[in-house]
Amino acid sequence: MATVNAQPAVPSSVWRARLRLASRSVRENWGLFVRTRIGLLGLAIIAMYALLAVAHPVLMSTVWEPRIYDPVIGYAFDETKQPAPPSLKHPLGTDPLGRDILSQLMFSARSEFLLGLLAATVTVVIGTSVGAIAAYFGGWVDTILMRLADIMIMMPAISVLIVLSALIGVEHFELALLIGILSGFGATGVVLKSQALSVVVKPYIDAARSAGGGHFHIILVHIVPNLLPLSFLYMMFTVTSAIFSEAVLSFLGLLNVRMSWGLMIHTTESAGYLLQVAEFWWLIFPASLSITLLCSAFYLVGRSLDEVVNPRLRSR
Amino acid sequence: MTTDPVLAVDDLKMHYVTQAGVVRAVDGVSFSVERGQSLGLVGESGCGKSSIAMTLLKLLPDNARLVAGSIALNGIDLVPLSEDEMRPHRWDRISMVFQAAMNSLDPVYRVGDQIVEALEAHSSSAGRDAMERVRELFDLVSLDPSYILRYPHEYSGGMRQRAIIAMALACEPDIIIADEPTTALDVIVQDHILREMQTIQHSLEMSMIYISHDMAVIAEVCDVVGVMYAGKLVEFGPTADVYARPIHPYTRALMSAFPSVRGEKHELVTLPGEPPNLLDPPGGCAFNPRCAYATDECRTTAPPIVKRGDQWAACWNPSDE
Amino acid sequence: MAKYLLKRSAQILVTLFVFLSLVFFIVNAQPGDVSNFYALNPDVPPETRERLQDLFGVNEPLWKQYLVHLKNTFTGNFGISFSHYPRSVADVIGERLPRTVVLFMTATALSFYLGFGLGKVVAWRRGGWFEYTSTVSGVTLYTVFTPWFGLMMIWLFAFKAGWFPIGKFLDPVLWRDAPIDANSVFTQMIITAFAVSFVVLTVFVITAQKRMSNARIIRIVSMVLATLAVVAVWMSWGTVSYAWDILRHMVLPVATLTLISFAGTMLLTRNSMLETMREDFVMAARAKGLPESAVRDKHVARNALLPVVTSFIFSLAFAVDGGVITESIFSWPGMGQTLVSATLTEDLPLAVGAFVFVGIFVLVAHLVADILYAYLDPRIRY
Repeated sequence: MATVNAQPAVPSSVWRARLRLASRSVRENWGLFVRTRIGLLGLAIIAMYALLAVAHPVLMSTVWEPRIYDPVIGYAFDETKQPAPPSLKHPLGTDPLGRDILSQLMFSARSEFLLGLLAATVTVVIGTSVGAIAAYFGGWVDTILMRLADIMIMMPAISVLIVLSALIGVEHFELALLIGILSGFGATGVVLKSQALSVVVKPYIDAARSAGGGHFHIILVHIVPNLLPLSFLYMMFTVTSAIFSEAVLSFLGLLNVRMSWGLMIHTTESAGYLLQVAEFWWLIFPASLSITLLCSAFYLVGRSLDEVVNPRLRSR
Repeated sequence: MTTDPVLAVDDLKMHYVTQAGVVRAVDGVSFSVERGQSLGLVGESGCGKSSIAMTLLKLLPDNARLVAGSIALNGIDLVPLSEDEMRPHRWDRISMVFQAAMNSLDPVYRVGDQIVEALEAHSSSAGRDAMERVRELFDLVSLDPSYILRYPHEYSGGMRQRAIIAMALACEPDIIIADEPTTALDVIVQDHILREMQTIQHSLEMSMIYISHDMAVIAEVCDVVGVMYAGKLVEFGPTADVYARPIHPYTRALMSAFPSVRGEKHELVTLPGEPPNLLDPPGGCAFNPRCAYATDECRTTAPPIVKRGDQWAACWNPSDE
Repeated sequence: MAKYLLKRSAQILVTLFVFLSLVFFIVNAQPGDVSNFYALNPDVPPETRERLQDLFGVNEPLWKQYLVHLKNTFTGNFGISFSHYPRSVADVIGERLPRTVVLFMTATALSFYLGFGLGKVVAWRRGGWFEYTSTVSGVTLYTVFTPWFGLMMIWLFAFKAGWFPIGKFLDPVLWRDAPIDANSVFTQMIITAFAVSFVVLTVFVITAQKRMSNARIIRIVSMVLATLAVVAVWMSWGTVSYAWDILRHMVLPVATLTLISFAGTMLLTRNSMLETMREDFVMAARAKGLPESAVRDKHVARNALLPVVTSFIFSLAFAVDGGVITESIFSWPGMGQTLVSATLTEDLPLAVGAFVFVGIFVLVAHLVADILYAYLDPRIRY
């Protein structure tokens, strides 16, 4: 019974020690991260868009009159012809429906971040659980989870979403959930499992088991924390694919959203300005570039995290 | 043994430039190997043995600098040669048996093809002639010729080592460097392979350099032995003399750390401490922090050469037993 | 090898089963049955609707519907498309599947060749601005918003420069009085491409295995002969101008798909090369006195290829998605474009049919890649 009584004390102290170690390794790894250079570039881009996202509600409640600048129902009464080219009042011009492009761009940035964050969280929660459980229990649990992973890996996510949008109608929430499930049960789960396998064979797992630790306790306290750095890396890649999928689907007009970067290009297309790239550049470039930049940024951060986590890639 | 040496190394210095500073991996090493002779280089790991092997073939990573010295192979100095000028010498005149036989064969090619590749790089004998030669080589190292067209993963550890030796012999080089040739193998296979290598060496009149941390292996196969410490040779001489009456305290420490089969019984003594950090080796004699006989001189000034017949050592307090 | 492939095939068959069940589940998760969709369409007469209800067994219990669904899939019976009424779904797919396969295979082969070749060079010139720029531009291409990229390609090379047609499969004006239909010409093209690559590949493999000293001459001669044969055959068919029109329409989508997918291979190849370069056999290859190019191509790159192919297998679904997007941008009438337009017009049977085939396509590509991998890695082959 003694072990049972002692248990509640263990996690907190273990976690405290881990936190201390983590803060030190964060400082060391930050150095490595900076040295890859591409990671900093990614962070700078993410910071820029985060700033835009935060600034939008502030601008709306202070300088921008909602009647004109609302990203969805606003109309630029101050312009005579829509779409209007960039001007002082509308730095990125207006769209064919007379809405301010910059306002749309900033408004959408927030939902892109929320979408990415949600998809990444779902991925990591599922992926870490799948990885830890498959590695810890092995046997048929492992077999089933890995076969399931095979299937998920073979699922063309965007095609699935296209069909789903025809059947049930897809919004941001469903999109994030689906991307998270596909990635978490799929590739991320597989990668985290192979990482978890190297943890499971460590002596302290045996020690914890012989000390009477329950399965759930061991997985949560001893295995999962060791998977966190790698799962953090895969969060970045999930954000990229979530933003990308959202953009493609809303560009095709298959997503029920009020405003997004993909939808901005969709509007341009349905108004017939798509091939007048040079004449109406502000209808195409701001949204497209934003999608590309933010996707690249998260990918770059993920990639340089990869070099930090995976020492084989580091230059000597 | 009065002919010109096959290999004469003089004051060789090779440094690694790292972010932490300059590592003096090979720091002024001189020795020579006569035709048909076998030289053993012995020392703890990290003392620069393997670095010498890589330096002799000039197979150095980007951060390595050949600072000084000469490597005369059949009278030709390899140090100033460019990569293109060096290539014909490699394998043809100086070849190597690698430390990790497991990984020195490319997993995606048949073993026979990998030997043919070496042959084709150095002679015009291609196609059937080359295959014939591979058959001879397999015979020489007692490998079943049916394995010529098999892949490395189908070989056992001992067979792979034999294949590597066959490959090293392919172009009938003047000298072969064997870097820990048998370390990864079990003792019986180890013994077999060492004996075979010796027989082949004698029948082909080749020179050999054995590199090992194992005093017993060196004792078995080498005519001459050099003891390395911190990138330098600290003792050198005929194997029998060095083993019978070591001069340098480090040599003695190494000897007593290994059990001897034939010699008298003695306590096994482990050497305290670790080899020095080559980034910042101790002043004077690099061995001084671990040496029981160290004096103030040892800590400040490089030790003088002490000679005894063909044997020499670099030491302030040589053993005179 | 046989055992390995048998195992993979069995796994893929199980996957196919689960996939089809999933499709069934998704279709049935929405309210009403499939025939409701037909009811909305005035083009579909009531008796056809009843026939369709029979076909899908909508009045049967759910488990029976499931069995019917599986049976229909395996017999290729997906019902009638109503955006192409009265053509059957199978008929529409039968016409479009080859177009997707050709587009995808061409782009995949090109992007792999390009990505692997460039990745090799990038890894060999480690460090410095070259690596930095190639990484950043590689990542940009890899994550670029595909529709926008396709649009820029169209605008630049078709709209402004006028070198290529703007999307679609063929030029209707040219084909109005054509003596032959587009699908037959396309079939001729596929047969030609297949025959030529088969001949060339066989010659290459044979000359490599027999260690012939005049391998190069044999290869060149065989390629010249193959080219002459192709010219002769096409002259006799007399459809060169039509094939040319299709080819011209293919260039931009293939180029787009190639550019967006080659970067992934390039970045992977670089990493894989860097890891392989530390292997002992690479040092051994250098010690053997092999020229640097042989060390790089024969030893490092050949071994680095294995993990690249593995990751490629992992990302097949992603590549197929790229194809779906590219097709709809360029209005290339393949499976992807069919899937999107069927979804937009709420042509449910066609959308489900196209989706099932996109899934099967991924599975088959997976199997092909598995076979290729087993061929490349002797540790699996033997």
